[in-house]
Amino acid sequence: MNVKFLNPFVDAARDVLKAELNAEVRRGELTLEKSALTTNELTVLISLVGQVQGVVLYGMEADTGLKMVSQMMDQEFTEITDLAESGVGEMANVISGRATVLLSESGFESNISPPTLIKGKDVSISTLDFDRIVVPLKMELGVITAHLALRESPPGVRESNFVDVAIHA
Amino acid sequence: MNVKFLNPFVEAAHEVLKAEAGLEMVRAPLNLINETYVTDDVTVILNLIGQIEGTVFYSMSNQTAVTLASSMLGEHIAEFDNLAQSGVAELGNVITGQASMRLSSEGFDCNISTPTLVIGRNATISTLGLPRLVVPLESDGAEVIIHLALRQSNTSIRSASEIPQAPQV
Repeated sequence: MNVKFLNPFVDAARDVLKAELNAEVRRGELTLEKSALTTNELTVLISLVGQVQGVVLYGMEADTGLKMVSQMMDQEFTEITDLAESGVGEMANVISGRATVLLSESGFESNISPPTLIKGKDVSISTLDFDRIVVPLKMELGVITAHLALRESPPGVRESNFVDVAIHA
Repeated sequence: MNVKFLNPFVEAAHEVLKAEAGLEMVRAPLNLINETYVTDDVTVILNLIGQIEGTVFYSMSNQTAVTLASSMLGEHIAEFDNLAQSGVAELGNVITGQASMRLSSEGFDCNISTPTLVIGRNATISTLGLPRLVVPLESDGAEVIIHLALRQSNTSIRSASEIPQAPQV
């Protein structure tokens, strides 16, 4: 995992959360994790392909997600409905989309997938041999923890249909 | 969800599982499902990005995962350890890669993401507005279920890094 991929995501999150929620984001302490992540109540998964490849996960408590979508849609949400899920997914989508624009400005072209939402505490999500940089994004309404499991693609990989996943013990 | 995206995956899965795990899989009846998916023990998630975009996941029981990993690696594996996890994720990767090549020869170019593994029952996975086409493949007590939540995309692979639209509410 390359640290230069970190700031585009932090900056994108700061911009987007400010614009959509009027929330000030403070970055918490970074950690580098090798083991699988144990989920929080809501996790949004978005993949990147291109010159940067891998997965970005955004984890949060249901309460944080609800406060976020309530603010975003200006309507009170008290449970995770389909609309709330789609709002949470969309927020992650916009942050990641903005991050790929910033990545592209620093010379790394990539594209993002549609978001997938994993709901349920304490299952484990493994990015296999991709280490994760874990960045808590702290706002008054709660914390979004971004997990970046990204790496620079080897040259030519853009054209490939296969991603090299090393099998290791 | 377009049914023409189905066969490339079924054929690829059939071929890869036969070649890698020695299993002759038989397809059970299809279902189109709008609700979120409640996870089984093991789920491998990959994204497609390009002229077809969305999420593909492969779900199975712990028992099936261990069986697949054992026959793939040619040694008896008793529990779903890191090595087995890599093996099963790699199967998802190879099946999806093969399927994307078949799709590309039918005129739909797409790239695939790295695999992500979700381990744990009873979490839910939502593909946020994309219905899932569900195809169970069975053989000798082993069952792998393919879930396809895909759509055709107008965005070329290049322009997809533009900022996504905010949700319409």
